[in-house]
Amino acid sequence: MRELVGHMEGINRLLARYGVKFGIYKNKEFHEQLFPFDPLARVITAEEFAYLERGLTQRVDALNGFLADIYSDKKIVKDGVIPEDFIFSSKGYLPQCEGITPPKRIYSHISGIDLVQGKDGSWYILEDNLRIPSGASYPMIARELTRQASPETFTHTQLVDNRNYADMLKEVMDSVNTGGINVVLTPGRYNAAFFEHSYLAERSGAVLAMPQDLYVEGNRLYYRQYQGTDQQVGTVYRRISDEYLDPLCFEPESLIGVPGIMDVYRSGNVALVNAPGNGVADDKGIYYFVPHMVKYYLGEEAILKNAPTYLAFYEDDRRFILEHLERLVVKDVSEAGGYGVVFGSDLSKEKLEELRQIIMGEPRRFIAQEVIDFIDLDIVDGESMAPRKADLRAFVLSSGTTRVWPSGLTRFSRNPDSFVVNSSQGGGFKDTWVLSR
Amino acid sequence: MKKLHFLYQMRLDLSQMVQDHHFLIRCIPMEDDNQKIEQFACQITPADTIDQVQDGFGNLGYAGAVRAPHDHLQIQAEGTVQVSGVFRRESLHPMYRFQSAYTVPGDGIRRFLKETEEELGRLPGDRSGLQFMMNRLSGRFVYVPGVTGVKTRAEEALTGGEGVCQDYAHIFISLCRLAGVPARYVAGMMTGEGQTHAWAEVWMDGGWYGFDPTNNRMVDETYIKLTHGRDFADGAVDKGCFLGFASQTQQIFVKVEETA
Repeated sequence: MRELVGHMEGINRLLARYGVKFGIYKNKEFHEQLFPFDPLARVITAEEFAYLERGLTQRVDALNGFLADIYSDKKIVKDGVIPEDFIFSSKGYLPQCEGITPPKRIYSHISGIDLVQGKDGSWYILEDNLRIPSGASYPMIARELTRQASPETFTHTQLVDNRNYADMLKEVMDSVNTGGINVVLTPGRYNAAFFEHSYLAERSGAVLAMPQDLYVEGNRLYYRQYQGTDQQVGTVYRRISDEYLDPLCFEPESLIGVPGIMDVYRSGNVALVNAPGNGVADDKGIYYFVPHMVKYYLGEEAILKNAPTYLAFYEDDRRFILEHLERLVVKDVSEAGGYGVVFGSDLSKEKLEELRQIIMGEPRRFIAQEVIDFIDLDIVDGESMAPRKADLRAFVLSSGTTRVWPSGLTRFSRNPDSFVVNSSQGGGFKDTWVLSR
Repeated sequence: MKKLHFLYQMRLDLSQMVQDHHFLIRCIPMEDDNQKIEQFACQITPADTIDQVQDGFGNLGYAGAVRAPHDHLQIQAEGTVQVSGVFRRESLHPMYRFQSAYTVPGDGIRRFLKETEEELGRLPGDRSGLQFMMNRLSGRFVYVPGVTGVKTRAEEALTGGEGVCQDYAHIFISLCRLAGVPARYVAGMMTGEGQTHAWAEVWMDGGWYGFDPTNNRMVDETYIKLTHGRDFADGAVDKGCFLGFASQTQQIFVKVEETA
């Protein structure tokens, strides 16, 4: 693998040319920045991957069961397994989706599950991303470019080819398609993830559509052909977030939505990938309950562990949090992308006391977790190697059967003292190699 | 039981031509155990497509589009509705227990509830307690059109001290939820001539009672319910979006009268 170091600059240059970028908001300003690639891949053995695959499949199946339940019978609430507060006051819960049965009852078709590996070798789930998780395109294109740069590396290493992601994605879109073409709906070329939208559309054989290319008529969705007959759309892999998807249903001032698309979806005349309303299953508060969901819906013990988590909502947990704040990491459940995360160890006595007051004032808003001492991966740092914290976003695809993509996005923190690896916080990425034996 | 005849007219005038205009109009009386539609007719002009739709709250509406350039949109609905009973027996959807975007309480609403509790000697959790609270709100919040807008939140409205039916409903709903009583927002029409109206429904005894804080009275058989939701955003009677830079003026006329 070390021979790839020499190709690092060249590959990064190509990535920049292809527009592999990430957009971040800092101090209310939008900045676009490159997503630096490190050539030293994360390596996962076949055995370890088989274990992760079992755990991730189980988790995503339970999450899909939960979503189907919440937007219909709500049995898990009636049975007292999860308090109402964590569902119906969550920003991610969308009553507009009540009573909708998506094709095949799949809500989270593409799940991005973030994990870290502790120093003892065991894996922990950090968070679930069930809305429109991004990032699969980065290891895809990185693998392609490294294969071109150094084909011999891949003849000497027995690893699973990850270039099947597009086929898996196509299978997902086809499996829920209600009749018509598959489209990838992008807000447009100024979106920070536009590279990914166009790349995935091209690779999966879907049409890349802008909002103005789609329209609703007679309770059907159509793709506007500027020449010839307009085509009916059966699946929309939409890369527009829920609140902007349909100005007549959600945020009325959205300029990037498709008016009426929710009515077509409700009628079962189009599949939306992922389903709107999934945010209720992936906020930081509901995370605590995922192992309970596994037990409730599947009758199994969760294979993959959560990081030890305390819910300020529960009195005992709250007391524990207030007493051990200096060693815990506190997360605001309504924030995402690495925002609203505070490490107790970074705070002064006064700041700790301030945080205690805030938590006591709004306990529903906070969770606290033990800081997991997760493993470092080496990255190339000038002429030498340097260890950095890294996580793994695994992509789990549900099309009736649930499959884990044998690869994933490994993100690392470029700051040696930071545990926060989110790309929105300026990290870099690696390819993830799954060995074939 | 009362039989009510209603007329709903809405005219939207646009200062310039616009196109690709999408609208959602929900001027259809809700059909449930308390309301039966005897007769109903609705005209929307101009419109290229119109579909009847239903949302996640159970509200009915017409969704449609005007594609060609136009400078106005006109709706007229007219019908007869049988209204019976003031109590809607219905299981509770848990979302109505929690505050929503328009009803998040601030210091003003918290203080108002605390003072109400002190005056009443208990937290207003039952019918008479809530009527006491409604009466108190009626004495401290003044009906003045034009001060607040469609985006005004409950806390902001109460602090300003003036507003319209939407604000009364939001403040009252926020207070109810804060007191631990589930509440929802209702858009509808009441007997007489004027605008569409808004009030609150409060869940107790296994169903919903209507409270009209604007008029400081309980909702009875002289009201026609159109939509409900957590707050105004869910229950809006009309919504729309178009391509163009026009400014818009909307005129609404509603007339409801009892018939034989």
